Amino acid sequence: MAQVIGVLEQGFIYAILALGVYITFRILDFPDMSVDATFPLGAAVTAIMISNGFHPWLTLPVSMICGAAAGAITGLIHVKLHVRDLLSGIIVMTGLYSINLHIAGRANVPLFNFDTMFKNTFVSGLPSGTQAYFPVILLFLLALLCKILMDLYLSTRSGFLLKATGDNPTLVASLAEDSGKVKILGLSIANALVALSGSVMCQYQRYFDISMGTGTLVLAVASVILGMQLLRGLRRLKATSAVIIGSVLYKGCVALALSMGLSPFDLKLITAALLLIIIVIGGKNRKVKYHA
Amino acid sequence: MKRSIALFVALVLVLLATFALAEQYTVGIGQFAEHGSLDNCRTGFIDGLAQEGIVEGQNLTVIYENAQADMGITQQIASQFAAKNVDLMVGIATPMAQACYNAADGKIPVIFNAVSDPVASGFVNADGINAGMITGVSDALPVAAQLATIRVMLPDAKRIGILYTTSETNSVSTIATYKSLCGEYGFEIEEMGISTSADIPLALDALLPKVDCLSNLTDNTVVQALALVLDKANTAKKPVFGSEIEQVKNGCIAAEGLDYVQLGKQCGIMAALVLKGEASAADIPYQIITEPSLYVNEAVLASFGITLNEELAVRAHAIQ
Repeated sequence: MAQVIGVLEQGFIYAILALGVYITFRILDFPDMSVDATFPLGAAVTAIMISNGFHPWLTLPVSMICGAAAGAITGLIHVKLHVRDLLSGIIVMTGLYSINLHIAGRANVPLFNFDTMFKNTFVSGLPSGTQAYFPVILLFLLALLCKILMDLYLSTRSGFLLKATGDNPTLVASLAEDSGKVKILGLSIANALVALSGSVMCQYQRYFDISMGTGTLVLAVASVILGMQLLRGLRRLKATSAVIIGSVLYKGCVALALSMGLSPFDLKLITAALLLIIIVIGGKNRKVKYHA
Repeated sequence: MKRSIALFVALVLVLLATFALAEQYTVGIGQFAEHGSLDNCRTGFIDGLAQEGIVEGQNLTVIYENAQADMGITQQIASQFAAKNVDLMVGIATPMAQACYNAADGKIPVIFNAVSDPVASGFVNADGINAGMITGVSDALPVAAQLATIRVMLPDAKRIGILYTTSETNSVSTIATYKSLCGEYGFEIEEMGISTSADIPLALDALLPKVDCLSNLTDNTVVQALALVLDKANTAKKPVFGSEIEQVKNGCIAAEGLDYVQLGKQCGIMAALVLKGEASAADIPYQIITEPSLYVNEAVLASFGITLNEELAVRAHAIQ
């Protein structure tokens, strides 16, 4: 049971990240490498704010603003300076590494002695039986809130333009709208979510480390694809929900690989095999539905 | 006669009973990455426990996981240990120890291994008292001894180059020590920060012409690329000093280093105290391994045409 809760907790944290990457990767069709640095950016801002006595909840909007600014820079480099999408993300990712170090002051900042959104006087005041479930409920609500806000946004005119920019830029131009602006906006929203996820992760693990961003994009893309491929048959399910489920499943695969008790050498191989199995099984179900 | 048989049977029964009833322990060992020094910590730890009568396979179950240097997995490994409610967690290297300490949440004791700066890592308060249910053995490098040895082996050297990863706190704090001590031995430190192993070749090309030798830290990224470092330095005819035995085995000229098996062993002995309930992890003061040993690679020494003076030769452990 405790293991399942652990998977859910971490799955929900990375779900917020995956929602952000869903915007760039699926909607805008933009391979945004800056994610690997905006995730630790949110964490760095959080670590330095909390260790200087700011309220843990305040770190969330501040991290989002910083992430949005970083995303906007990626967009500006791409749109205004006509740098290729992949390269503009790489440029921002590379530069942010130093900025993250400057923000945090050093490569590793522990927060064990400070209140976080998961550990504070309010939580320790809860009945002892419910305390263990507090983080998972809080994280579920947070991921749900992000999903609902994103669904609402995607149904507005601006959200519609965002979807159109990825699918059919000519349509956006024919509506007399600037697709460049839409891209910058999309990257800002996406990286705001990524930084939010980094902020929450930092509070959850109670330390910041400069290398915590390595591999973030791969993990997020895997979650997005996993969720969307597997649940494509379910027409009623929104893509945003599929992404959240995908993220939990991804963490579940790692947990399963860990608890199989095989040689630590094989951890990544087992994770890869499990992911492949899920995708293939998901694909088979879909075929059956198509024929029926 | 009957009585003695009865006594003997009773004795055997008591022995069997103590064996069967002997406390069973489960320990979760999380290791951050796969490399020689950290592996030595782990084997040393298990040896240390065995020395105190807690033997793997008999009364000890070890759950060993390796994060393969993936930060996303460190936390997951630690939370699995917590979910399995292990009796004790061991975190080898700073990020893994932090993940364990977080997941243990004051309910499970944690032993840290190979953490150079336990205060900066949040395990020990500035006054030297444990921050919580955590203790361990720190691997602060013997910088003064290293500088003294380099001075003796290279009497004309002026500048020591150090390559390090900006993301590793251990390296950053060791460089600070190097800088504060180098003046006493007449050296200047030329440091070069990198962020990934891909930066190493360029960084070395820039660094090597400016220095007389290199001195390695226990920096994970640099140690993993040691072959490349040695290759470039040997081409430039600059000796590379290591920081522990594994690096000398792999071709560094010499090292005033730590014995990580010994470090692990000390941790194992601490862990045994905690498991047997003789002391709480919160109360056992953390230790620092201080006694350095000099390791020299004779083949490399010969290739640079350096001979050890008597004082060094006496205490040097030669590695073929």
